[in-house]
Amino acid sequence: MKFGFLIDHRKCIGCHACSVACKEEHQVPLGVYRTWVKYVEKGAFPNTRRHFTVLRCNHCEDAPCVTICPVSALYKRSDGIVDFNSNTCIGCKACMQACPYDALYIDPNSNTAAKCNFCAHRVEVGLQPSCQIVCPTQAIVSGDLDDPTSLISYLTAREPIRVRKPEKGTKPQLSYIDADESSLTPGATIQPQEFGMWSQITNPHITDLSMPLFPGTMTVPSGPDLLQDLSAEAGRTVYNVGHAVPWGQKVSLYIWTKSLAAGAFLVSTLGVGAGLVPDSPLLTWGALLLALLFLGITSALLILDLKRPERFYTILLRPQWRSWLTIGAYILVVYGALLGLSFLAALFGATSFRHFLLWPGGLGAILASIYTGFLFGQAKGRDLWLSPALPVHLLVQALVAGAALLAIFSVVIPSNLATTVLLHNIVLWGLLANVFIMLVGELWMPHGTQDAAQAARLILRGVYSRLFWGMVIGVGHVLPVLLLLLIPGAPIGVTFLAGLCALAGLLVFEHIWLIAGQTVPLS
Amino acid sequence: MPPFTPSSHAAGVLTNYPPVERWDDWTEYDPATWPRKVARKYMLVPTICFNCEAACGLLAYVDKQDLSIRKFEGNPEHPGSRGRNCAKGPATINQVNDPERILYPLKRSGPRGSGQWERTTWDEVLDTFSSRIRQALVENRRTEVMYHVGRPGHDGYMDRVLQSWGVDGHNSHTNVCSSSARLGYALWQGADRPSPDHSNARFILLISAHLETGHYFNPHAQRIIEAKAAGSKIAVIDTRLSNTASMADYWLSTWPGSEAALLLAMANVILQEERYNREFLRCWVNWAETLRVLRPDAENTFDNFLEALKAHYATYTPAYAERETGVAAALIVQVAREIAAAGTAFAAHVWRSAASGNEGGWQVARCLEFLSVLTGSVGTRGGTSPNTWDKFVAAPFKRPAPQNVWNELLYPQEYPLSFHEMSFLLPHFLKSGRGRVDTYFTRVYNPVWTNPDGATWIEVLKDDKLIGLHAALTPVWSETAWFADYVLPMGTAAERHDLMSQETQAGSWIGFRQPVLRVVREKLGQPVRFTYEANPGEVWEEDEFWIELSWRIDPDGSLGVRQHFESPYRPGEKLTIDEYYQWIFENSVPGLPEAAAAQGLTPLAYMRKYGAFAVKRDVYNLHDTPVDPAHLAGAEIDPATHLVRQQGQVIGVEIDGKVVTGFATPSRKLELFSQTLHDWHWPEHALPGYIKSHVHRDHIDHAKGEYVLLPTFRLPTLIHTRAGNSKWLYEISHTNPLWLHPRDAERLGVDLGSLLKVHTETGYFVIRVWITEAIRPGVVACSHHLGRWRLDKDIGGDRWSTALADLQEVGPGQWRLRQVHGIEPFHSVDPDSDRVWWKDAGVHQNLTFPVHPDPVSGMHCWHQKVRIERAGPEDRYGDVFVDTNKSFQVYEQWLQKTRPAPGPDGLRRPLWFARAVRPSNEVYRITSTPAS
Repeated sequence: MKFGFLIDHRKCIGCHACSVACKEEHQVPLGVYRTWVKYVEKGAFPNTRRHFTVLRCNHCEDAPCVTICPVSALYKRSDGIVDFNSNTCIGCKACMQACPYDALYIDPNSNTAAKCNFCAHRVEVGLQPSCQIVCPTQAIVSGDLDDPTSLISYLTAREPIRVRKPEKGTKPQLSYIDADESSLTPGATIQPQEFGMWSQITNPHITDLSMPLFPGTMTVPSGPDLLQDLSAEAGRTVYNVGHAVPWGQKVSLYIWTKSLAAGAFLVSTLGVGAGLVPDSPLLTWGALLLALLFLGITSALLILDLKRPERFYTILLRPQWRSWLTIGAYILVVYGALLGLSFLAALFGATSFRHFLLWPGGLGAILASIYTGFLFGQAKGRDLWLSPALPVHLLVQALVAGAALLAIFSVVIPSNLATTVLLHNIVLWGLLANVFIMLVGELWMPHGTQDAAQAARLILRGVYSRLFWGMVIGVGHVLPVLLLLLIPGAPIGVTFLAGLCALAGLLVFEHIWLIAGQTVPLS
Repeated sequence: MPPFTPSSHAAGVLTNYPPVERWDDWTEYDPATWPRKVARKYMLVPTICFNCEAACGLLAYVDKQDLSIRKFEGNPEHPGSRGRNCAKGPATINQVNDPERILYPLKRSGPRGSGQWERTTWDEVLDTFSSRIRQALVENRRTEVMYHVGRPGHDGYMDRVLQSWGVDGHNSHTNVCSSSARLGYALWQGADRPSPDHSNARFILLISAHLETGHYFNPHAQRIIEAKAAGSKIAVIDTRLSNTASMADYWLSTWPGSEAALLLAMANVILQEERYNREFLRCWVNWAETLRVLRPDAENTFDNFLEALKAHYATYTPAYAERETGVAAALIVQVAREIAAAGTAFAAHVWRSAASGNEGGWQVARCLEFLSVLTGSVGTRGGTSPNTWDKFVAAPFKRPAPQNVWNELLYPQEYPLSFHEMSFLLPHFLKSGRGRVDTYFTRVYNPVWTNPDGATWIEVLKDDKLIGLHAALTPVWSETAWFADYVLPMGTAAERHDLMSQETQAGSWIGFRQPVLRVVREKLGQPVRFTYEANPGEVWEEDEFWIELSWRIDPDGSLGVRQHFESPYRPGEKLTIDEYYQWIFENSVPGLPEAAAAQGLTPLAYMRKYGAFAVKRDVYNLHDTPVDPAHLAGAEIDPATHLVRQQGQVIGVEIDGKVVTGFATPSRKLELFSQTLHDWHWPEHALPGYIKSHVHRDHIDHAKGEYVLLPTFRLPTLIHTRAGNSKWLYEISHTNPLWLHPRDAERLGVDLGSLLKVHTETGYFVIRVWITEAIRPGVVACSHHLGRWRLDKDIGGDRWSTALADLQEVGPGQWRLRQVHGIEPFHSVDPDSDRVWWKDAGVHQNLTFPVHPDPVSGMHCWHQKVRIERAGPEDRYGDVFVDTNKSFQVYEQWLQKTRPAPGPDGLRRPLWFARAVRPSNEVYRITSTPAS
């Protein structure tokens, strides 16, 4: 048995009965929807038309939300329904990034993820979903796609159908008859800004939108296209519901602190472990303590970003091994344990054991820095993040971050000239590599999808461009590179300043990159 | 789409509703705890929706554990709505659980409109009002008691109450709604509404938006789309691109007020191309009378009539229509040919829209019906029937005699042909000394906000010399209730009894609204004497209120009132609500007692169980019903008119030697030529014609910033001012920006979101602009539900939907409304009230409209000629200013256009015209003593 939906837009009159009936059945709070109707207008008077599209969970055969969920709170039932369990959800919001369709939201009552679940509780007693029974024109059809005699099988076989974003490989089990391209593909229309034809645009208070570090940059920006520029050629989205930006400042900070935690230790592996520089308090105590400190902060940020932080430990207790959130959590635990061991070894003067630990620890640091690339790779909704360069980029960032951090602390923690030169070199070459990967590999390189291109455009030329070119490139890269290149001899002030600039640039970049990736509408 | 033949498969086949036999005991899993399976036991009780007037079925799920209503779904047993609803159906649960609703009767404790209220008892309310009404009856002031209804929600209950009191006091909202369409249809066929058989139509022409709004939105939308799926085509005439126009095969965007020209051009195409239904015209149109007017000198033959008709409409060429309407001539011809091709399966509908917007809008309805007549699609399968064929009003026991009094505040002599009461002129009549209202009930009626010239309503409602005592009967606060003396909370869709029927299809049904918690309690063996015992707080149902009030008006029966409120089963004792409906179901609904008996149920139990009953199916061609031969003995056939009379009464018409009942007109035929219009001083409009609207494009000078404003369009999710108590509906739509075409935006130099100042004849409002290709250039539009306000921080309006406003009379008759703040989150038992994220409540435009009563139909002609400019630095969003001195002048100007009664025989109104709560025939004559 395989339940699926078919929405017949030859019949849908855009009445919103489905949206309200769903709210009633599931007591869906204000600000969020499990199903909604988008309106798109096309054409110039009098050849104008308004297209309606019912949007919701596609009950994908290969559901990315299920894959990314670290605790199996989202799961595929044997009858094909993608259901969820709010009792186990930890509120990590990864599913909202994985879903390319904006199907999920955080329920403000339970602080857990929710979405259309095909009214599984009704299916259990033999009833059709609420949206279907209310529909005045019977435009919503549910049924068993495995049963060749069902209406839904008949319609999917006999009528030309299409699905949303088939290129995502999710195999949606919701298909449309006569849905217009402009309403299925969000990038195909001009999006509404503050208000649409009869409503303001939702701005739900469930996300981590404020970033005190960069006031004013955190609201979802208006894109380059505004409805003011109404041109008859472009479709205009005139009604839609707003969607949360699931990850905000805590996650950008987490990427940054994790780079520091991984990089600091990795630099000591590289320097001391590979025998490039003699051991020193900076690369022993400095690297270890800083790595431990930032790993602690990283874990705290991860937990704090959960909408149900008190359930954080269930990631470890009921792991879902396809999720890179789970794998990452274990990597962080193992890496933390190795750091702890190294710390004990240092404390008890077991230098050779500590030197031995530099290698597994270094491997842990590499994994800790790059696993996020795999996690973001599971975020199928965010095209900008689906960059093959990401793991390498994260590793370079970690090296730069670690070296810059140690460079700053070399002001107070003793080391040696060779170490200072090494740090200088890592920061210098790391920054050059970073700017290359960032600009060439991720932003300039032609993008595989329009959404990725649009997100990159927001960074390079859009609302984030001033921060990007000023803070990330100017302060974060050009300035430290010039300092390091032009002032030879590694004076302490230069080391300190270059380190600070590099770290500031990295932090701003993580944040811009995180937010820009989530700014492009999915629906 | 080819038809799908389902086969029965057990596994994976889901059904839409639990089977009826399990409604008393139905178990479902709680979605809140899912996937943990927590079983909830429900009793399912049908009722009917109380949002729009379509009366769609609802099915309340009542949790047996705590006797709370969990949700409303559709009622699959309802023949009109068939288990399906629009967004407003499920939103009923918001209205039941609304933390802002009024739960106890309130009485003002300060001056009117001061906002000082105290809780009172129903006993005090009943005593106060009954003694006052009793005194009016005793003193024979039978025009001073008035019941003014916005949304009736019942068929005939109040008519009976008012006639039992012997007053002429029924006032309605019809003249701000549908008067013109009613007059247009009534002139043709007697019945004042169309009943299109959309399901079976091959071509559908709508001057309406029935895929998104209006009654009967949901039932009609179902059937229109059914026809579309079966290959029927749809054309929509609407200046604005409605959702309906979006779904149509043809969108004809007319210049407002030119629709009759468009329709006549189509008629002309059909006539010139000889695509009309010749036989139908010959049999069913009063062509002989028409020809006598068109060609008095010609021989009275049908062929001469056809020639005269072609000649009469020949000037309405498609090219002329294109110049008038802006719609391409080729498109007009194409649609006309599609209509002709559909023949007797051509369904058409207009109810408000162009008919209600324009002076002379009643001719729009008449011209539309002209197309139905030409195609012979009146009363056919797939055609358009008179609504009376498809609406079944069940008679209650003991009908009181008609009142012997005529209230000129309702039907003044200036408007002898109005459909119906001149409701929106009430304050103007009172102001000009035409009478007073001693006891005034407004019921789900919000004239301060909804009607034109609301500021004049405020002035009159505040004047106790004009309105002695005013009770607002409403579930929630409204702008009008704020100025009442009493606010009496009445039940929502699930908290009251009503019996309704609507012509949603070619067949008729009755729907039974029920207080579902009362029904559940009774089924569980807990006796309930009055509905308020089962309702939240002290919320009454009106039926019981009127019984109690009537009983107290005439406790000893000396006034003749009490007899109508005595039980038909227990002589001399007070009627119960069960007995009232029990009698109707046992005696007045054909087939119901038999259907009930077949299931071993009493008729009342049957209706409590199913909530609806199909009275007739597949009703067509009733005009062709032969008159019972038994009645023909001794009957006379008029040789000139072919009318068949029995003892002076017309009982039918002879057509080709057969005596049939015909239509409900004096000629028993469809009246192309209206003798009535001719006789009642409008001979120039005696045939369907084109009246240039008060907003005709000749009157609009864009260079001066002038535009036509369409202020009436509705949204699929809201219903007038009655959806403000639904958080889910308001979350979807809550603001009403002014639709403006990009070309006009450029002309005005404004961008999306800019503030515009829109000047009417009597004031202005400040609103934001929405730039769209969905409106004809030169025309602006603004949806009518939005712009709600309240004057107190916490009460006076639902906080989901109202802006806090400051209302000042800044000079005599000069009113200024300014928003203090928009919608804000608030704290209540519903956690959602803290999550209200929308701020914009829209702008109240109706305040700035003066009254425009159509001189013939009495319809308020809604469209406005406005002047638009960019807002100045002192203007704020939502500002409204209006001068009631000016609006009174506009009222007087429009009054001058009328041609007052008497008509023939000194009548106030044609005797054959319907009249709400019809009085005795004697008082139709002006020579009889007018009592106002």
